Amino acid sequence: MKHIKENSCRRFARLVPAGFALALVAFAQVCAVPQKAGAQEIATLEAPSPLVQIRIMVKAGSAHDPEGKEGLAYMTARLILAGSYGRPNRPVTKEAMAELTRPWGGGALPGVRVDKESTTFMMTVPREVFDTYMNQVLEPMLGRPLFDEGELDRIRSEVLTYVGSSLRNENLEMLGLEALDNYIYAGTGRGHLVYGSVQGLKAITREDIRRFCVTYYSPDNVLIGLGSSDRAVRDAVTGAVRGMGSLRGVEAFEASRPGRPALVQGREMTIVAMPNSPAAVIQLGFPLPLLRSDADFWPLWVANVWLGTHRDSYSHLYEVIRQERGYNYGDYSYIEHFASRPAYLFPPFNTPRTSQYFCAWIRPITHEYVAHITKATLWEIERLIKEGLTPEQVESAKNKAKVLYLNYAETSDRLLAARVDDLFYGMTPGTPEGYLDGYLGRIDAVTAEEVNAAIRRYLQVDNVKILVVTDETQARALADQVLAGGPAWAKLPGDYQIAVTEEEGRRFYHVPEDRLDTIRLEAAWAYYPLQLEQDRVRVVPVSALFETGAFVTVPPDGR
Amino acid sequence: MHRYRLPLALMVVGGLVLCGTRPLAAQSSDGFFPYEIHKRTLENGLDVIVIPMLEFENVLSYNTLILAGARNETEPGKSGLAHLFEHIQFRHMWQGKPQGYEEAMSRMGAFNNAWTWFDVTFYHPVTFASNLNQLASLEADRFTSLKFTEEVFVTEAGTVLGEYRNSAADPGMRMDEVQLAEMYGSHGYGHTTMGYLEDVEDLPNEFKAAIGFYNTYYRPNNVVMVIAGDVGPAGVFELVESLYGSWEPGLISEQPDPEAVGGPKQAHVDWEVPVPPRITVSYKMPAHRTGTAETAVGQLLPELLVSETAPLYKKLRYEEQLVQGMGMGKAVYESFDDGHLDIGCVLFQDRFASEGEAYFERIVEEVQKAADDLTAFSSRPDAGTLLRDLKSKYRYDMLAGLNSPAATAQTFVLYYRFERDPAVMDKLVASVEVLEPGDIDLFASTYLVPANRVVVTMNGPAGGQR
Repeated sequence: MKHIKENSCRRFARLVPAGFALALVAFAQVCAVPQKAGAQEIATLEAPSPLVQIRIMVKAGSAHDPEGKEGLAYMTARLILAGSYGRPNRPVTKEAMAELTRPWGGGALPGVRVDKESTTFMMTVPREVFDTYMNQVLEPMLGRPLFDEGELDRIRSEVLTYVGSSLRNENLEMLGLEALDNYIYAGTGRGHLVYGSVQGLKAITREDIRRFCVTYYSPDNVLIGLGSSDRAVRDAVTGAVRGMGSLRGVEAFEASRPGRPALVQGREMTIVAMPNSPAAVIQLGFPLPLLRSDADFWPLWVANVWLGTHRDSYSHLYEVIRQERGYNYGDYSYIEHFASRPAYLFPPFNTPRTSQYFCAWIRPITHEYVAHITKATLWEIERLIKEGLTPEQVESAKNKAKVLYLNYAETSDRLLAARVDDLFYGMTPGTPEGYLDGYLGRIDAVTAEEVNAAIRRYLQVDNVKILVVTDETQARALADQVLAGGPAWAKLPGDYQIAVTEEEGRRFYHVPEDRLDTIRLEAAWAYYPLQLEQDRVRVVPVSALFETGAFVTVPPDGR
Repeated sequence: MHRYRLPLALMVVGGLVLCGTRPLAAQSSDGFFPYEIHKRTLENGLDVIVIPMLEFENVLSYNTLILAGARNETEPGKSGLAHLFEHIQFRHMWQGKPQGYEEAMSRMGAFNNAWTWFDVTFYHPVTFASNLNQLASLEADRFTSLKFTEEVFVTEAGTVLGEYRNSAADPGMRMDEVQLAEMYGSHGYGHTTMGYLEDVEDLPNEFKAAIGFYNTYYRPNNVVMVIAGDVGPAGVFELVESLYGSWEPGLISEQPDPEAVGGPKQAHVDWEVPVPPRITVSYKMPAHRTGTAETAVGQLLPELLVSETAPLYKKLRYEEQLVQGMGMGKAVYESFDDGHLDIGCVLFQDRFASEGEAYFERIVEEVQKAADDLTAFSSRPDAGTLLRDLKSKYRYDMLAGLNSPAATAQTFVLYYRFERDPAVMDKLVASVEVLEPGDIDLFASTYLVPANRVVVTMNGPAGGQR
């Protein structure tokens, strides 16, 4: 994992000029954040609560799964929590841990979030039992995991059911979102589900888990967040992580470095054919060479707030597709990965990535509308690139962006989690360099010129991956339609209560004055060229997804 | 009639008595709730609560709870109106302009959302505290003088239908529909907050019925407001009074009690795609009454039945691996009328393929056995220590949930609505603290019985895929 640390240092060096870095160091000493204890970087948050939050982020995730063992990072994290710890002849089982921590509240039972580049353990502990907790739970759980074989089989079975069945058949939106997250990174270590692939999960052994733990779960590969700046708390937690990954006689994997996604060339579409799908979803996106630690992030953030704020009625895509025309329930865009989107109104922290992508998420629509709404989405992004935003629109979006802060920074849990991510990105938590700590000031400083420059520099519609999930009976027809080209309409004049008459063989549409703009825009969308070439459109059965580390696995019979 | 509603005249007197800004929570014997609570009831019956949480600098959580939801949709063919009105409220023509309200909110800057449940509809914008006057004006205008066109109504009805269709892809929603119908019949709890599909499809034609719903339930004596965050009570009551004082109160009719379940009942949902089979075992519960032992036991039931340490959970999930997931939530029985406890389980396809219906029957037996075991909770050797641990956990969990002005306001008002007592949080936690093991025995033997039980099962085509 040595390279990870080097990466982290290089990223930080790139962002902070030498002179400024010295000033920052001085500032950090005054603020005492982030703190270093041994090899760990620590972010703290002073909260008056009698409960202390702890977050421990291992800088490894599913992107570090060895090929053919997709799911190893996820299974390792789950087994740390559930696979018993302590002495083999007197193990503390997950049931015993639950009994032990119960009087201290539900937050005292450790949880974990795994993403493509990180694994974050989290817990909330009453201050009055802190030392007991360290000795009886955190230190042995991290330092002496037993990875019980029975638990491995049990969890594997559950995850296989989710990946192989539930995700493929039950939740249209989650399927589309997860599929796009793999599609963008197809061909790299990031190109499979965090949970793993069906074949990868089946191949994982207990020894693989021990090897993954030894390779990546080491004290110098973790970042720590503490809801207290108390020195005793800090010493106790750094002491507890000191024994991580010290399993005897286990050979480490060769540490892998997740590859960058290849740039998309032109436009391509993958149509996922789902049995009995009640509607269709559209996701489209492309890799974005921009992280929240980059200066250009903030103007592009403001632009995206205008274009597609998640689950909010404020933004443009929502306005033109849902609000004015009632095509669906919502339409959003993103410049950072947003994990578990359907479930959350605001992005969870602790899923940081060194590679991000732009994407638009079109919520369920009628199958027959897919071509039209795909065109609409691309047309609207292209319009944004061509026309930019007016100073008034930028001010409005900045205002909205500031309001988002109220939710992003709503709870003390979120504040601390964001500071751990700051450490990952090489930003200085607890100072104006930090993501949430500096958020309002950064938004205030953004100018309309910067926003329009960032739009032109980073957004484009020529090289895009488009992913559609639709019913299996509709998929082929959709492929034929988009390949044939030509206009694609969705709602008809009757849907807009527009009378149609015919005189002398000519058709007349009686469009009320106040609907002219609505209809004109529909026409502009309908005639927008998708420009999809024959070999860039494919229909795949849902069973071809998530089977192996590849984005699409062709069944052995070649179907 | 389980919903206590004071006559208007008495509420006015109550308002006079309670006017003022004394920190009521500080006077409670328990002192659990960490913030002061200030309450005033306006002459029209509108309850206004202010909870200063000054450590959240410049944050304002401004909440309006309408005491009407799916429960109040009792007229045949008219389900889904409460949820539709949640949407319509956002289309208010402020200053006579289409989109006027939303544009003004957008200009000011607020996170603005709402949700609908069986008993209530909850509007909960968050903004910077410096926007208090402006936000209060906008909110008062849409609640006291809502304006919208029939065209907007039809558009939103279409949006709601889209929301229904989106949810309909989840077999859980269909199971809920079947389960509620079995348990409650024609009572308002007998359908989901989304409404029956045929009613939702017909919503565009229900403009007049919708207006009637609004005129009946969006009345100040049927509303509780909670304002939390970086605000003090000084000036806030006067501001609210000046904006909401002329809102006319209305006569809110009581809802009939649900009838007995007449269980055990069982129903099945066939699903068209291969998904893991599911089962929900439900029991009708007593209505929520703060301070009673029954309600206090209800607070501990998730821990007793489906937590990682619950015997039922450990047996089904780990020892026998009969379920891949199980859970329950309190929100379906923290209710004005008799609610319901749902233990939902996700099962394994391959096991169902080999065992069939017997697999479902086994789960029902195990859940009922766990319920029966609770009737003898007090005879467990560790009953005392276990109950002590559960009380400790409950208290820490409740405390951990009060981690923002919005979360604190919502938690408070959802309990406050029952008896409208500012000390409700202290009383609720105190009622749990004094529970004895025998209270759990009594509860289980009264409510967790087959006569109160409805089971709904679901599975897809046989031979599901992996």
